[in-house]
Amino acid sequence: MQNLAASLLQTIQNAPVLPVYSSGSMWQHMTDALHQSFYRVLTLLIAVLPGILAFFVALLVFTLSGVAVSWALRRCLTWLKFDLRLASKGGSDWTPSSSPTEIVARLSFWACVLLGLIIGVSAFDTSYATGTTLPIALLPYLTHAVGAGLLLIAGILIARFLARSVLISAVNAQLQYARILSLGVKWLVLVLTAAMVLDHLQVGGNIVELAFGILFGGIVLTLALAVGLGSRDLVSRSLESRVEHTGDPAHVPDIRSTPRKTIRHF
Amino acid sequence: MATANPIPEATSTAEHAATDLVVLAAAMQPEEFEGLMTHLSEAFSAESVIVATREELAAHATTAMRVVPVSRSSTAWPMRPADFINAFEAGHEHEAKAVLMLGPGADSLSPLALRSLASAVLHTAIDLAMPHYSIPPNTGFINSAILYPLTRTLFAVRARFPLALDMCLSMRMAERMATAAHRFNDRGQNEALLWPVNEAIAGGCSVDEIDAGLRAMPQPADVDISSILALVTGSLFGDIESKAAVWQRPRRPPIMRQPVPGASPAGSAADAAQMVEAFRLAYANLQEIWSLILPPHSLLLLKRFSVVDASAFRMPENLWARIVYDFLIAYRLRTINRGHLMGALIPLYLAWVAGHINATASGITPERHIETVAAAFEADKPYLVARWRWPDRFNS
Repeated sequence: MQNLAASLLQTIQNAPVLPVYSSGSMWQHMTDALHQSFYRVLTLLIAVLPGILAFFVALLVFTLSGVAVSWALRRCLTWLKFDLRLASKGGSDWTPSSSPTEIVARLSFWACVLLGLIIGVSAFDTSYATGTTLPIALLPYLTHAVGAGLLLIAGILIARFLARSVLISAVNAQLQYARILSLGVKWLVLVLTAAMVLDHLQVGGNIVELAFGILFGGIVLTLALAVGLGSRDLVSRSLESRVEHTGDPAHVPDIRSTPRKTIRHF
Repeated sequence: MATANPIPEATSTAEHAATDLVVLAAAMQPEEFEGLMTHLSEAFSAESVIVATREELAAHATTAMRVVPVSRSSTAWPMRPADFINAFEAGHEHEAKAVLMLGPGADSLSPLALRSLASAVLHTAIDLAMPHYSIPPNTGFINSAILYPLTRTLFAVRARFPLALDMCLSMRMAERMATAAHRFNDRGQNEALLWPVNEAIAGGCSVDEIDAGLRAMPQPADVDISSILALVTGSLFGDIESKAAVWQRPRRPPIMRQPVPGASPAGSAADAAQMVEAFRLAYANLQEIWSLILPPHSLLLLKRFSVVDASAFRMPENLWARIVYDFLIAYRLRTINRGHLMGALIPLYLAWVAGHINATASGITPERHIETVAAAFEADKPYLVARWRWPDRFNS
């Protein structure tokens, strides 16, 4: 019995010690984890911050240089009477807001800004490449975002141009549904642009393609119905006038098409 | 080493002998050309005139008048840069004092009209003689609404048909036109329209208008109003833009001739109703575009007129002048795409035509109404000059 008790005691003494945490020790570990995380983020920021600062400093310096250069050029060209000389040679008249001097000054300003942007991005890129080994997806995503922004601007401009073209042509063709047609074309282009932008940003994946297909098809169908139903009169009038041209004796002249022949605009 | 001359001596001498007048006839049907030759024979002595035309027409000539072929000649309305180059080259080659350019359908011009046009240049100090046609009241609306009032106001010249089909030019004027035509050709704009009256005023040449009576008016190949208005008005706007330094100088308005009384109405009530309807549709749809071009005051007036009954519809002369000026400014500033700009002008132009038809139906003669419109353009010229110089100031 005494031996048994001794062996049990021995077993207990030899057993591995299980960690027993007190509340103070857990807090210590959490603080350590937070400190490490904070340190990692801070390190990343310290690595990237010079690049960001360099970007903004380069942009600011070159923008200010652009202002100075454009001011100097404007004064210089005005003193040289550049606009007058050009007008006397080319024989063309310029608006005050788009005179050759103004164009040159603006071009020089934007060239400086663009140079600042390039240098800034280059500085940022260098800092990113050498300052840290941590993976950041910011720069590649930024370039995609710039591309997407350009796509969006181009899409909006094209949509507006086409919408106006369709609206004016439809109104001059005296189509009652001119506005619907114009809006349809505008949204077609905008939907196409949105799909392209999302695809460029690699957002949405298949969902975007599917949604684009449904929307595009829906708009085309709506337009087809609107034009088809709205153009019945136009088509019948066109057919009637064709019959009239071919000299069909059964045809009765349409009073709506007759007046056109009495007017000659030129 | 002597070389044999392939051209016989007699022919060479004859072709290069000095002559008073070179007539450049546009391409036309052989029967039309025959009619024209008959009228030319009645108007001029055979020795004083050389007719230059296309080779195939020259072969058909049966009169005693000398006919020489030219390489290029336009087949349709209106005259192109190549025609003006031809005119100068033919005149220069034959040492002519003047060149009479005749467009398609010139066989309908009377011998008297042909003689008057040529005499104005040959026997007076006129450099450019423009014809004043007697056209039916239902034709030439673009000319009456835009071309004539703008040309008369800006260049202070009496030319009822600034884009006439026929004209007589002194050699000085022909040379100037050929230079302008070469400029267009060099830029590859072979189909551009040239504005002889504007060119003459810019070059310090004298211009006069000669009564030409009735004339058959060939229509452009594309009779669609959109394309004609865009082509003609756009071209005139472009020419005005390039000659801004000329027309901004103060000039004394020309002495106008008295309008011919007793002409018939310009169109039927159905025509006017259709055009007013087109204007209403445009008002409902194009306000957004018009608001970029027109000042609020004009838009307000258009709103008021859009609800007027078609039979009582009138476009006030001063409003029309203001609209054309604002479109001209927008053309210069490229406020919107120029194609869109011309498209947006069409319904307003149709509204003017409807008002013109209603005005003539109420007893006013078409010519008197057109003269009133031109006078409104002249009265509002300071507005155009002010906005041309300071476009940002949006006068209302």
